Amino acid sequence: MFDALSQWLTQTQLSAFLADTTHLSTWLIIPLSQCIHILAVAVVMISVAVLNLHLLGIGGTRQTFAQLARQLIPWVWAALFVLFFTGTLQTIAEPGRELLNIGFRVKMAMVVLTATITLIYQITIRKDPNYWEFSPQRRQTGRMLATLSLVLWVGIAALGRLIAYVDTRTDI
Amino acid sequence: MSNSIMDFLQWLNDSPMAETIRDSVWIFPALETVHVIAIVIVVGSIMRLDLRLAGLVWRSRPVTEVSDEMLPYTWISFVIATIFGLLLFASKPIVYLQMPFFDVKMILIILAGLNMLLFQHVTFKGVAKWDRSPFPPTAVRFAGSLSLAFWVSVVICGRLIGFV
Repeated sequence: MFDALSQWLTQTQLSAFLADTTHLSTWLIIPLSQCIHILAVAVVMISVAVLNLHLLGIGGTRQTFAQLARQLIPWVWAALFVLFFTGTLQTIAEPGRELLNIGFRVKMAMVVLTATITLIYQITIRKDPNYWEFSPQRRQTGRMLATLSLVLWVGIAALGRLIAYVDTRTDI
Repeated sequence: MSNSIMDFLQWLNDSPMAETIRDSVWIFPALETVHVIAIVIVVGSIMRLDLRLAGLVWRSRPVTEVSDEMLPYTWISFVIATIFGLLLFASKPIVYLQMPFFDVKMILIILAGLNMLLFQHVTFKGVAKWDRSPFPPTAVRFAGSLSLAFWVSVVICGRLIGFV
Protein backbone atom coordinates (compact mmCIF):
# COMPACT_ATOMS: atom_id res chain seq x y z
CA MET A 1 0.00 0.00 0.00
CA PHE A 2 2.76 2.45 1.02
CA ASP A 3 4.86 1.38 -1.95
CA ALA A 4 2.04 1.97 -4.42
CA LEU A 5 1.14 5.32 -2.86
CA SER A 6 4.75 6.42 -2.89
CA GLN A 7 5.16 5.40 -6.52
CA TRP A 8 1.98 7.15 -7.56
CA LEU A 9 2.90 10.35 -5.67
CA THR A 10 6.35 10.42 -7.23
CA GLN A 11 4.74 10.53 -10.67
CA THR A 12 2.41 13.44 -9.90
CA GLN A 13 3.15 16.90 -11.27
CA LEU A 14 2.92 18.44 -7.80
CA SER A 15 5.66 16.15 -6.53
CA ALA A 16 7.87 17.01 -9.50
CA PHE A 17 7.20 20.71 -8.92
CA LEU A 18 8.06 20.53 -5.21
CA ALA A 19 11.12 18.37 -5.81
CA ASP A 20 12.49 20.81 -8.39
CA THR A 21 15.13 22.71 -6.43
CA THR A 22 16.65 24.53 -9.39
CA HIS A 23 14.61 27.68 -8.86
CA LEU A 24 14.74 29.69 -5.66
CA SER A 25 10.94 30.04 -5.54
CA THR A 26 10.30 26.29 -5.59
CA TRP A 27 13.37 25.50 -3.49
CA LEU A 28 12.01 27.74 -0.71
CA ILE A 29 8.64 25.95 -0.34
CA ILE A 30 9.87 22.88 1.57
CA PRO A 31 12.27 24.65 3.99
CA LEU A 32 9.50 27.17 4.77
CA SER A 33 7.00 24.37 5.26
CA GLN A 34 9.45 22.69 7.66
CA CYS A 35 9.85 25.93 9.65
CA ILE A 36 6.06 26.26 10.02
CA HIS A 37 5.93 22.55 10.92
CA ILE A 38 8.43 23.03 13.80
CA LEU A 39 6.61 26.11 15.11
CA ALA A 40 3.36 24.10 15.16
CA VAL A 41 5.24 21.32 17.00
CA ALA A 42 6.22 23.96 19.61
CA VAL A 43 2.54 24.84 20.13
CA VAL A 44 1.52 21.19 20.48
CA MET A 45 4.40 20.20 22.76
CA ILE A 46 3.98 22.97 25.34
CA SER A 47 0.20 22.41 25.39
CA VAL A 48 0.42 18.66 25.95
CA ALA A 49 3.28 19.10 28.42
CA VAL A 50 1.18 21.44 30.60
CA LEU A 51 -1.92 19.22 30.36
CA ASN A 52 -0.25 15.89 31.02
CA LEU A 53 2.08 17.15 33.75
CA HIS A 54 -0.97 18.62 35.48
CA LEU A 55 -2.60 15.18 35.51
CA LEU A 56 0.64 13.83 36.99
CA GLY A 57 0.49 16.51 39.69
CA ILE A 58 3.58 18.37 38.40
CA GLY A 59 3.83 21.98 37.26
CA GLY A 60 2.31 24.39 39.74
CA THR A 61 -0.66 26.17 38.24
CA ARG A 62 -3.69 27.71 39.87
CA GLN A 63 -5.87 26.38 37.05
CA THR A 64 -7.93 23.20 37.17
CA PHE A 65 -7.41 20.48 34.57
CA ALA A 66 -10.71 21.38 32.91
CA GLN A 67 -9.73 25.07 32.67
CA LEU A 68 -6.35 24.17 31.18
CA ALA A 69 -7.93 21.71 28.78
CA ARG A 70 -10.45 24.27 27.53
CA GLN A 71 -7.64 26.77 26.94
CA LEU A 72 -5.11 24.45 25.39
CA ILE A 73 -6.85 21.64 23.49
CA PRO A 74 -8.20 23.96 20.74
CA TRP A 75 -4.56 24.97 20.13
CA VAL A 76 -3.55 21.32 19.90
CA TRP A 77 -6.16 20.68 17.19
CA ALA A 78 -5.28 23.86 15.29
CA ALA A 79 -1.57 23.00 15.40
CA LEU A 80 -2.26 19.39 14.36
CA PHE A 81 -4.16 20.73 11.35
CA VAL A 82 -1.15 22.88 10.37
CA LEU A 83 1.14 19.88 10.97
CA PHE A 84 -1.01 17.67 8.77
CA PHE A 85 -1.01 20.26 5.95
CA THR A 86 2.74 21.00 6.02
CA GLY A 87 3.55 17.32 6.61
CA THR A 88 1.49 16.29 3.61
CA LEU A 89 3.28 18.87 1.46
CA GLN A 90 6.66 17.52 2.59
CA THR A 91 5.54 13.95 1.89
CA ILE A 92 4.41 14.85 -1.63
CA ALA A 93 7.79 16.47 -2.27
CA GLU A 94 9.71 13.36 -1.17
CA PRO A 95 7.27 10.39 -1.01
CA GLY A 96 9.92 7.69 -0.64
CA ARG A 97 11.76 9.47 2.19
CA GLU A 98 8.59 9.41 4.30
CA LEU A 99 6.23 6.64 3.20
CA LEU A 100 8.91 3.96 2.85
CA ASN A 101 10.49 4.95 6.16
CA ILE A 102 9.71 2.79 9.18
CA GLY A 103 10.28 5.82 11.44
CA PHE A 104 7.57 7.76 9.58
CA ARG A 105 5.05 4.92 9.84
CA VAL A 106 5.62 4.46 13.58
CA LYS A 107 5.35 8.24 14.03
CA MET A 108 1.97 8.33 12.27
CA ALA A 109 0.64 5.49 14.44
CA MET A 110 1.79 7.41 17.53
CA VAL A 111 0.06 10.58 16.30
CA VAL A 112 -3.24 8.68 16.00
CA LEU A 113 -2.84 7.41 19.59
CA THR A 114 -2.00 10.80 21.09
CA ALA A 115 -4.85 12.45 19.18
CA THR A 116 -7.18 9.83 20.64
CA ILE A 117 -5.97 10.56 24.18
CA THR A 118 -6.51 14.29 23.57
CA LEU A 119 -10.03 13.56 22.35
CA ILE A 120 -10.69 11.47 25.47
CA TYR A 121 -9.61 14.43 27.65
CA GLN A 122 -11.90 16.75 25.72
CA ILE A 123 -14.96 14.49 25.86
CA THR A 124 -14.58 13.56 29.54
CA ILE A 125 -14.21 17.13 30.83
CA ARG A 126 -17.18 18.21 28.73
CA LYS A 127 -19.21 15.56 30.55
CA ASP A 128 -17.81 16.46 33.96
CA PRO A 129 -15.14 19.16 34.61
CA ASN A 130 -13.91 17.18 37.62
CA TYR A 131 -13.88 13.88 35.76
CA TRP A 132 -10.19 13.16 36.42
CA GLU A 133 -10.33 14.17 40.08
CA PHE A 134 -13.53 12.24 40.84
CA SER A 135 -12.03 9.14 42.49
CA PRO A 136 -8.62 7.58 43.26
CA GLN A 137 -9.22 5.14 40.37
CA ARG A 138 -9.89 8.00 37.95
CA ARG A 139 -6.76 9.81 39.16
CA GLN A 140 -4.78 6.62 38.62
CA THR A 141 -6.14 6.21 35.08
CA GLY A 142 -5.41 9.89 34.44
CA ARG A 143 -1.79 9.45 35.49
CA MET A 144 -1.43 6.42 33.23
CA LEU A 145 -2.93 8.21 30.23
CA ALA A 146 -0.77 11.27 30.91
CA THR A 147 2.42 9.20 31.10
CA LEU A 148 1.54 7.35 27.90
CA SER A 149 0.69 10.61 26.13
CA LEU A 150 3.96 12.29 27.19
CA VAL A 151 6.08 9.31 26.16
CA LEU A 152 4.31 9.15 22.79
CA TRP A 153 4.69 12.91 22.13
CA VAL A 154 8.41 12.83 22.93
CA GLY A 155 8.67 9.80 20.63
CA ILE A 156 6.83 11.63 17.86
CA ALA A 157 9.14 14.64 18.13
CA ALA A 158 12.22 12.40 18.25
CA LEU A 159 11.15 10.39 15.19
CA GLY A 160 10.36 13.65 13.40
CA ARG A 161 14.02 14.54 13.68
CA LEU A 162 15.36 11.01 13.20
CA ILE A 163 13.43 10.21 9.99
CA ALA A 164 16.16 12.15 8.21
CA TYR A 165 18.72 9.62 9.47
CA VAL A 166 16.78 6.38 8.98
CA ASP A 167 17.57 4.54 5.78
CA THR A 168 14.64 4.16 3.48
CA ARG A 169 14.19 1.25 1.14
CA THR A 170 15.47 2.14 -2.28
CA ASP A 171 14.66 -1.14 -4.04
CA ILE A 172 11.44 0.03 -5.65
CA MET B 1 38.32 37.19 14.02
CA SER B 2 40.94 37.39 16.72
CA ASN B 3 43.59 34.71 16.75
CA SER B 4 42.98 33.47 20.27
CA ILE B 5 39.31 32.73 19.49
CA MET B 6 40.31 30.90 16.31
CA ASP B 7 42.97 28.97 18.25
CA PHE B 8 40.37 27.99 20.83
CA LEU B 9 37.89 26.84 18.17
CA GLN B 10 40.62 24.86 16.43
CA TRP B 11 41.53 23.25 19.76
CA LEU B 12 37.85 22.45 20.35
CA ASN B 13 37.55 21.03 16.84
CA ASP B 14 40.54 18.74 17.43
CA SER B 15 39.48 17.69 20.93
CA PRO B 16 38.70 14.00 21.58
CA MET B 17 35.09 14.91 22.43
CA ALA B 18 34.52 16.65 19.08
CA GLU B 19 36.14 13.73 17.31
CA THR B 20 33.89 11.24 19.11
CA ILE B 21 30.75 13.18 18.09
CA ARG B 22 31.95 13.44 14.47
CA ASP B 23 32.95 9.81 14.15
CA SER B 24 29.82 8.26 15.61
CA VAL B 25 26.78 7.56 13.43
CA TRP B 26 24.31 8.01 16.25
CA ILE B 27 25.71 10.58 18.74
CA PHE B 28 25.05 13.64 16.55
CA PRO B 29 21.43 12.67 15.68
CA ALA B 30 20.79 11.83 19.36
CA LEU B 31 22.16 15.19 20.57
CA GLU B 32 20.18 16.94 17.85
CA THR B 33 16.95 15.21 18.88
CA VAL B 34 17.29 16.36 22.51
CA HIS B 35 18.24 19.86 21.29
CA VAL B 36 15.15 20.11 19.05
CA ILE B 37 12.73 18.84 21.73
CA ALA B 38 14.16 21.35 24.23
CA ILE B 39 13.92 24.18 21.66
CA VAL B 40 10.26 23.53 20.87
CA ILE B 41 9.45 23.70 24.60
CA VAL B 42 11.44 26.96 24.94
CA VAL B 43 9.63 28.50 21.99
CA GLY B 44 6.21 27.06 22.80
CA SER B 45 6.30 28.32 26.40
CA ILE B 46 7.68 31.76 25.59
CA MET B 47 5.20 32.06 22.72
CA ARG B 48 2.31 31.46 25.10
CA LEU B 49 3.52 34.22 27.44
CA ASP B 50 4.30 36.57 24.54
CA LEU B 51 0.81 36.13 23.11
CA ARG B 52 -0.67 37.04 26.49
CA LEU B 53 1.66 40.05 26.84
CA ALA B 54 0.65 41.15 23.35
CA GLY B 55 -2.98 41.00 24.48
CA LEU B 56 -3.91 38.49 21.79
CA VAL B 57 -5.07 35.48 23.84
CA TRP B 58 -6.18 34.38 27.32
CA ARG B 59 -7.09 37.99 28.08
CA SER B 60 -9.08 37.05 31.17
CA ARG B 61 -6.02 35.49 32.87
CA PRO B 62 -3.58 37.60 34.91
CA VAL B 63 -0.25 38.01 33.13
CA THR B 64 1.66 36.85 36.22
CA GLU B 65 -0.36 33.64 36.33
CA VAL B 66 0.61 32.81 32.73
CA SER B 67 4.25 33.77 33.34
CA ASP B 68 4.44 31.69 36.56
CA GLU B 69 3.02 28.77 34.63
CA MET B 70 5.34 29.12 31.61
CA LEU B 71 8.73 30.44 32.77
CA PRO B 72 9.86 27.24 34.58
CA TYR B 73 9.37 25.38 31.27
CA THR B 74 11.25 28.11 29.40
CA TRP B 75 14.28 28.16 31.68
CA ILE B 76 14.70 24.42 32.22
CA SER B 77 14.43 23.66 28.52
CA PHE B 78 16.62 26.65 27.59
CA VAL B 79 19.45 25.24 29.74
CA ILE B 80 19.02 21.79 28.11
CA ALA B 81 18.87 23.28 24.60
CA THR B 82 22.03 25.32 25.26
CA ILE B 83 24.05 22.39 26.64
CA PHE B 84 23.11 20.11 23.74
CA GLY B 85 23.50 22.96 21.24
CA LEU B 86 27.06 23.57 22.50
CA LEU B 87 27.88 19.88 22.04
CA LEU B 88 26.58 20.01 18.46
CA PHE B 89 28.59 23.20 17.89
CA ALA B 90 31.72 21.57 19.34
CA SER B 91 31.63 18.85 16.67
CA LYS B 92 32.34 21.39 13.88
CA PRO B 93 32.86 24.82 15.48
CA ILE B 94 34.64 26.54 12.60
CA VAL B 95 32.21 25.19 10.00
CA TYR B 96 29.21 26.44 12.00
CA LEU B 97 30.72 29.85 12.62
CA GLN B 98 31.10 30.31 8.87
CA MET B 99 27.41 29.60 8.25
CA PRO B 100 25.39 32.84 7.97
CA PHE B 101 22.24 31.25 9.46
CA PHE B 102 24.20 30.08 12.49
CA ASP B 103 25.64 33.54 13.13
CA VAL B 104 22.24 35.21 12.67
CA LYS B 105 20.67 32.64 15.03
CA MET B 106 23.22 33.43 17.76
CA ILE B 107 22.68 37.19 17.34
CA LEU B 108 18.90 36.68 17.54
CA ILE B 109 19.21 34.66 20.77
CA ILE B 110 21.33 37.47 22.28
CA LEU B 111 18.75 40.06 21.16
CA ALA B 112 15.90 37.96 22.58
CA GLY B 113 17.82 37.69 25.87
CA LEU B 114 18.46 41.46 26.02
CA ASN B 115 14.78 42.10 25.30
CA MET B 116 13.85 39.78 28.14
CA LEU B 117 16.32 41.42 30.59
CA LEU B 118 15.05 44.88 29.71
CA PHE B 119 11.47 43.71 30.03
CA GLN B 120 12.02 41.99 33.38
CA HIS B 121 13.96 44.84 34.98
CA VAL B 122 12.10 47.82 33.57
CA THR B 123 8.67 47.15 32.07
CA PHE B 124 7.67 44.23 34.31
CA LYS B 125 8.25 46.36 37.46
CA GLY B 126 4.85 47.95 36.95
CA VAL B 127 3.02 44.64 36.39
CA ALA B 128 0.61 45.26 39.29
CA LYS B 129 -1.00 48.04 37.26
CA TRP B 130 -1.73 45.90 34.17
CA ASP B 131 -1.65 42.31 35.44
CA ARG B 132 -5.37 41.82 34.89
CA SER B 133 -5.75 44.13 31.96
CA PRO B 134 -6.84 42.33 28.75
CA PHE B 135 -4.69 44.75 26.72
CA PRO B 136 -1.44 45.56 28.53
CA PRO B 137 0.22 48.96 27.83
CA THR B 138 1.89 49.53 24.46
CA ALA B 139 5.43 48.97 25.82
CA VAL B 140 4.40 45.54 27.16
CA ARG B 141 2.60 44.50 24.00
CA PHE B 142 5.62 45.67 22.00
CA ALA B 143 8.05 43.65 24.17
CA GLY B 144 5.86 40.55 23.79
CA SER B 145 5.58 40.91 20.01
CA LEU B 146 9.32 41.55 19.66
CA SER B 147 10.13 38.45 21.71
CA LEU B 148 7.77 36.38 19.58
CA ALA B 149 9.42 37.66 16.39
CA PHE B 150 12.92 36.91 17.73
CA TRP B 151 12.10 33.34 18.76
CA VAL B 152 10.22 32.49 15.57
CA SER B 153 13.29 33.74 13.67
CA VAL B 154 15.60 31.65 15.87
CA VAL B 155 13.63 28.52 14.91
CA ILE B 156 13.70 29.43 11.21
CA CYS B 157 17.47 30.03 11.25
CA GLY B 158 17.98 26.80 13.19
CA ARG B 159 16.06 24.81 10.59
CA LEU B 160 17.85 26.50 7.70
CA ILE B 161 21.32 25.68 9.14
CA GLY B 162 20.55 22.11 8.04
CA PHE B 163 20.13 23.21 4.42
CA VAL B 164 23.44 25.02 3.98
